[in-house]
Amino acid sequence: MSTVVERQIPGRYARLMTSLLRGTLRLDVWVNRLYPTDFNPLYYTGGLSNLFLFTLVLSGIFLFFYYDASLGEAFASVQYITDGVPYGGIVRGVHRYAADGFIVGILLHLLRNWFTDRHLFARDNPWISGMFLLLFGGFIGFTGYQLVWDERAQLLTSMFVAMLRSIPAAGATLTRLFIGGLGISDGTLVRILFLHIGPATALYAFLWWHYVRLRHPKIWPPGVWVLFCVGLVFLLAGAVPVTREAIPAATPAARPTSFPMDIFFLIPFWLLNFLPAGVVVLLLVSLFVGGLVIPYLSRRETPTEMGVRHSGVAQVIDGNCTGCELCYYDCPYNAIVMVPSPGPGLSKAAANRSLLAVVIESRCVECGICIGACPFEALELPKFLERDVLRQVAEAVQA
Amino acid sequence: MTQTPKVVGFICDWSVDLIPLSDGGRLRALPNVRVVRVPCSGFVRPEWLEDALNRGADGVFVTGCPYGDCLNREGNFLMRDRIDQLQRRLQRRKVDPARLGMLAFGLHDGAAFLAEVKAFADRIAVLPPAQPARTAGRPAVAQPAGTPEGDRT
Amino acid sequence: MRTVYVMGVVLLSALSLLFALGIIYGEATDRWFLGGGSVGALLIAYSFIVLLLRKMGMTGPRKTER
Repeated sequence: MSTVVERQIPGRYARLMTSLLRGTLRLDVWVNRLYPTDFNPLYYTGGLSNLFLFTLVLSGIFLFFYYDASLGEAFASVQYITDGVPYGGIVRGVHRYAADGFIVGILLHLLRNWFTDRHLFARDNPWISGMFLLLFGGFIGFTGYQLVWDERAQLLTSMFVAMLRSIPAAGATLTRLFIGGLGISDGTLVRILFLHIGPATALYAFLWWHYVRLRHPKIWPPGVWVLFCVGLVFLLAGAVPVTREAIPAATPAARPTSFPMDIFFLIPFWLLNFLPAGVVVLLLVSLFVGGLVIPYLSRRETPTEMGVRHSGVAQVIDGNCTGCELCYYDCPYNAIVMVPSPGPGLSKAAANRSLLAVVIESRCVECGICIGACPFEALELPKFLERDVLRQVAEAVQA
Repeated sequence: MTQTPKVVGFICDWSVDLIPLSDGGRLRALPNVRVVRVPCSGFVRPEWLEDALNRGADGVFVTGCPYGDCLNREGNFLMRDRIDQLQRRLQRRKVDPARLGMLAFGLHDGAAFLAEVKAFADRIAVLPPAQPARTAGRPAVAQPAGTPEGDRT
Repeated sequence: MRTVYVMGVVLLSALSLLFALGIIYGEATDRWFLGGGSVGALLIAYSFIVLLLRKMGMTGPRKTER
């Protein structure tokens, strides 16, 4: 995309990622024809996911008030929500479709941040926490389908137990932990309810980790999209009720062999049609581990091979720093902290300072925004100094 | 003012793709526009923009990513604010704020970028010439640093 | 172009009124799915009205994005 030095032949991984980047940004051109850029949903994929998560929490609290976690009563309580509680069926639909929206939002977010290089080097914390968010989100969706305790839930549970059992050494213990004993009982559903709500709360802990290295994270989409997404979820809940599939209640005697598929959460179970349980487990584990490794794959190539500028992490010029905190406020990655100044600075303005800026090098992505913010020339990028810039400006004007 | 104003642009690495548009220091389609590449639009110090104007550029602009899509999240917003502030400062010194510009374009927006830069250059071309340089007899205390073609004494 | 936008806003406003009536009707006759679906349709119509207002220039971007 750009280099300060002459372009070398980029490495193979870099070429692939560059073409994905160009394709992603070409999509932006089309979207920006329809919407002004501050409405472009692709710039707010994280915020959209957060919106759906919020909707899930609110609708989930509503459902929780009526749900009965026991083998005999679970289905009846869910039935009561649909038939007996005013707008209960709508809330069930909102919960279901917001979950689908959440997964779509997360996947768009993942792909966009992957293809636009927003996960490299010092930006790997949000990526790693994001992979955990995806994993937990997927698992919570699965346990949600189990809570209804209809025939689909029954079949899903036995399939999941088969997957757990296929894990060597730990399989039997994990199965006992999941079911809460040797066979399915009331305790199983209580455990599954915990495994639905507990990880949902853990999502907020992972979100804290996800935001911790970012200043002003974009956690909410533009108002237009809040209206549209909430509206879409309600419209679908009303127009395509989740109860239209009419799956009967689970009974101990039933031996269901198929269920209506959901492409957002249940694909691993569809794969069990073709692959043995152990292979599916291995596939999921490899996908997760492979996803965790993505920010580190690029480190085999140098920044020059990747075609990106390598300016060096920002350095504070101690003598000039007055402790004004402007760089601290502007750094998008919280990479600058203010510490009590160990001594006065050299310049007149810096002589009376009480604070000193310090760059945390592991968080610095070498963007240079702090250099733009500092009025006292107290920050520099080692490989693109201020005098280099001024020299280029002088050449540009003289030419 | 001159027919072809001298324009200096600071273009962010991640915004518009300059490889098809420029050959080294200037834009092919608009040879009077010189470009300086920066790692992020937020890297630019307002002092450098003033310096370009003082050295004889008729106009200077910064190009970043589309608003909302800065690779470093906030660089283009911050630069937009800094340019607003600089425009107000320069206005007090009787320098036309239209000589400064903030553009926001993405990787594939080459044509739109060129059109916007051309419009910027055309706006500058019709501006009245900047104040002539103050004479050396002026007291050194109040530096009239705002005259684009003046020298700092 | 502007008349197209204005006609769009007028049409969407009329539809919004229709959906609002749908909400009230759904509540009055205990047709919960109709009521809930109308809420959704109303919000979607609102989102398009805001988009058209923005494209007309009647609302603008944040000051930072001019």
